[in-house]
Amino acid sequence: MSQQLLSSSTSDGNSIDIAAQDDEVTEAAPINTESNTIAYAPKGRLPGDLAMWFFILAELTAFALLFSIYAVVRAKNPEMFAEGQAGLDIRAGLANTLALLSSSFFVACAVASVEAGRKGRACIELIAAISMGAFYVVVKLTEYSHSISLGYDITTNAFYQFYYLLTAFHFLHVVLGMLILIYITLRVHKGAYSDGNIQGMESGACYWHMVDLLWLVLFPLVYVLH
Amino acid sequence: MKFQSQSVAMPYFIAAIGLFVGQILFGLIMGLQYVMGDFLFPEIPFNVARMVHTNLLIVWVLFGFMGASYYLIPEESQTELFSPKLAIAMFWIFLVAGALTIVGYLAVPYATLAELTGNKLLPTMGREFLEQPTITKIGIVIVALAFIFNVGMTVLKGRKTAISMVLMIGLVGLAVLFLFSFYNPHNIVLDKMFWWWVVHLWVEGVWELILGAILAFVLIKITGVDREVIEKWLYMIVAMALITGILGMGHHYFWIGTPEYWQLIGSVFSALEPIPFFMMTLFAFNMINQRRREHPNKAAALWAMGCGVMAFLGAGVWGFLHTLSPVNYYTHGSQVTAAHGHMAFYGAYAMVVMCMISYSMPLMRGRIANSRQAQVVEMWGFWLMTVSMVFITLFLTGAGILQVWLQRFSDAPQSFMAVQDQIAIFYWLRELAGVFFLIGLGVYIWSFFVEGEEVTVDNTAAPAAA
Amino acid sequence: MSETFTKTMARNIFFGGSLFFILVLLGLTFHTTKALPERDNRQNLTDQVAQGKLLWEENNCLGCHTLMGEGAYFAPELANVYDRFGKNTAAIKAFIKSRPANGIPGRRSMPQFNFSDEELDALAEFLKYVSEINDADWPPNIQG
Repeated sequence: MSQQLLSSSTSDGNSIDIAAQDDEVTEAAPINTESNTIAYAPKGRLPGDLAMWFFILAELTAFALLFSIYAVVRAKNPEMFAEGQAGLDIRAGLANTLALLSSSFFVACAVASVEAGRKGRACIELIAAISMGAFYVVVKLTEYSHSISLGYDITTNAFYQFYYLLTAFHFLHVVLGMLILIYITLRVHKGAYSDGNIQGMESGACYWHMVDLLWLVLFPLVYVLH
Repeated sequence: MKFQSQSVAMPYFIAAIGLFVGQILFGLIMGLQYVMGDFLFPEIPFNVARMVHTNLLIVWVLFGFMGASYYLIPEESQTELFSPKLAIAMFWIFLVAGALTIVGYLAVPYATLAELTGNKLLPTMGREFLEQPTITKIGIVIVALAFIFNVGMTVLKGRKTAISMVLMIGLVGLAVLFLFSFYNPHNIVLDKMFWWWVVHLWVEGVWELILGAILAFVLIKITGVDREVIEKWLYMIVAMALITGILGMGHHYFWIGTPEYWQLIGSVFSALEPIPFFMMTLFAFNMINQRRREHPNKAAALWAMGCGVMAFLGAGVWGFLHTLSPVNYYTHGSQVTAAHGHMAFYGAYAMVVMCMISYSMPLMRGRIANSRQAQVVEMWGFWLMTVSMVFITLFLTGAGILQVWLQRFSDAPQSFMAVQDQIAIFYWLRELAGVFFLIGLGVYIWSFFVEGEEVTVDNTAAPAAA
Repeated sequence: MSETFTKTMARNIFFGGSLFFILVLLGLTFHTTKALPERDNRQNLTDQVAQGKLLWEENNCLGCHTLMGEGAYFAPELANVYDRFGKNTAAIKAFIKSRPANGIPGRRSMPQFNFSDEELDALAEFLKYVSEINDADWPPNIQG
């Protein structure tokens, strides 16, 4: 049984209801009459859209490969990596960890608020989450400018190559996640999720949790572990 | 066939198959030159045969893509093609320009061709796959623009579907990225770097969009599965293709003078490039298993499944084998690369074009599917070509592994030519497999002329469907 | 397990994900072009080298050879031929000049291109310039 949300594609600017008019389908067996129902059960349901989970899995795989290669190269050059780590400011990393954790928490609260029909509260929580993301961005950029002013760049050595690539790639995910959160905030503000269908919001929230999760691996890996 | 104008695809497909034959013949010449170095020397030196082989491949696949688009777009848009006349005019321009270029390659030395076509005014020749004279390249741009205008206008005036959107993005990307072929700086590193913007971003980027769209179209038609289901899979597949393939370009930036961080980026993202191809295989098999109708064109279904499997093996598995930079350090520019190239191109692009031909050609000839007899012959062609290609790939892989071992990995590395002599047996076997491929191609072409009892309309579909 | 898989979300991920990675690629490309001067030996990119590159292209050399591993696999790698020939441009020129016009019976042979001395100089300088590009120590050994 297919479970599409044909009727829920409101964000779909140039959406065309294709299935309804497709000549081919009508020739075949009867169209699934349930395909216009919103299909989710309250329990045991995957939050968000399966498509988003494919994307998250692909991203996690990319990061997992990066982390594994980092581990291998580090094992081969322990001194270089220890020295490089000593040059990083662990307080900045810790501050960013707290920022992303609390941001993730606010996003989770916002999803609950929307489910409870409390639109205004959800907006405030989302703005808090975005602010925490912005805090991360500022701290990270300060760290970069400090490192660069000390003459460390991506070509300095293997440690800095990994440091810049891993954190910058993650940084870009934070920026993308913030854009998604801003979009969700606008949608919440417009009352787009008030019909009880919050799949879209959950998908965005899942992405943001992934960004948070990645940092929770990245931070100990790059800043802490000796 | 639902719209009269779809039939402009027919000459494109015929030309594609004709050029395909030429490609294989020159492939056999090259294969023989690998073991009989003086074969046809100096009349057709290896580099000329290779240019003809690779350029014919590109041109026939482009013919196939254009034909597929001309067939697919009107049906998806539910309207006649914007201008069938323009499509036919472009067909002849492209065919004549392509033929003249090939004749140019064969008739005069390449340097003379460069001089005759004024290469010094805007030097673009002499780079792998982009050997065409500058004037031919300009012709390609004009044909591509006219083609995109034609199908684009058709999409604009008709129904807009996910399939036509993905196809259009792929075609526009193809045309735009080709413009990088006009950028040829004196600096060889920059030259190589942006040369890949044509080659890599074509075959591991926008072409995958075209491939996905064609496959999705054929699957909707032959399986009757809900369009909504097929299209969301199409979006996921092409999303994965670009998410992995764009930065996957890093695997070409390992050893050409670009910074070394590309080894990390290229290894990681190109290691993920099998994902879209794996999804494509799952997609084809799943849709055919969940079919809601018994379409009489079994051959088209076979091509669709075969395309998924062979693209995954050739592009996915054989690509992955040598894409990690520590491995690629040894295999780069060896016969391993050739092995991957052969199976990937056949599996992904040659097979998707033949899949589309298999589905649409009978319809353009006024029947829902070819006779059973003709389909059996076509399937023989399929298996002969596909199995031969598997063997070509295996023999080249054997040659490649041995080459890497003797020339690059052993304690006493031997010279290139000394190694070539020692791996000659693999080249002989490859040539034999190539002969079988040519036979398979002959059988495939024969299938178009096999008569037989006419297959009638779908009689197994659920009666309630009407 | 009940789940939702919508075309809208799949499409958003296609557009969003692709755009994201295109922007990353543009950023990396920008950085690479900034970093290239330290690696690509451009200080030795003379007019003569540029002429050599044009000759390299107009005679379709990589229809048989590879250069930094790219090209055809029919004839030896040439990005390190300058090193392989003992850092001697005269040896490169002598080799190109000595190719028999009608080939070598039963064996692969490079065609005779009838280059002028000036052209030979340009080609040799081009190959020398390429050999001095920092290509991350590829190929693994002198045999290419």
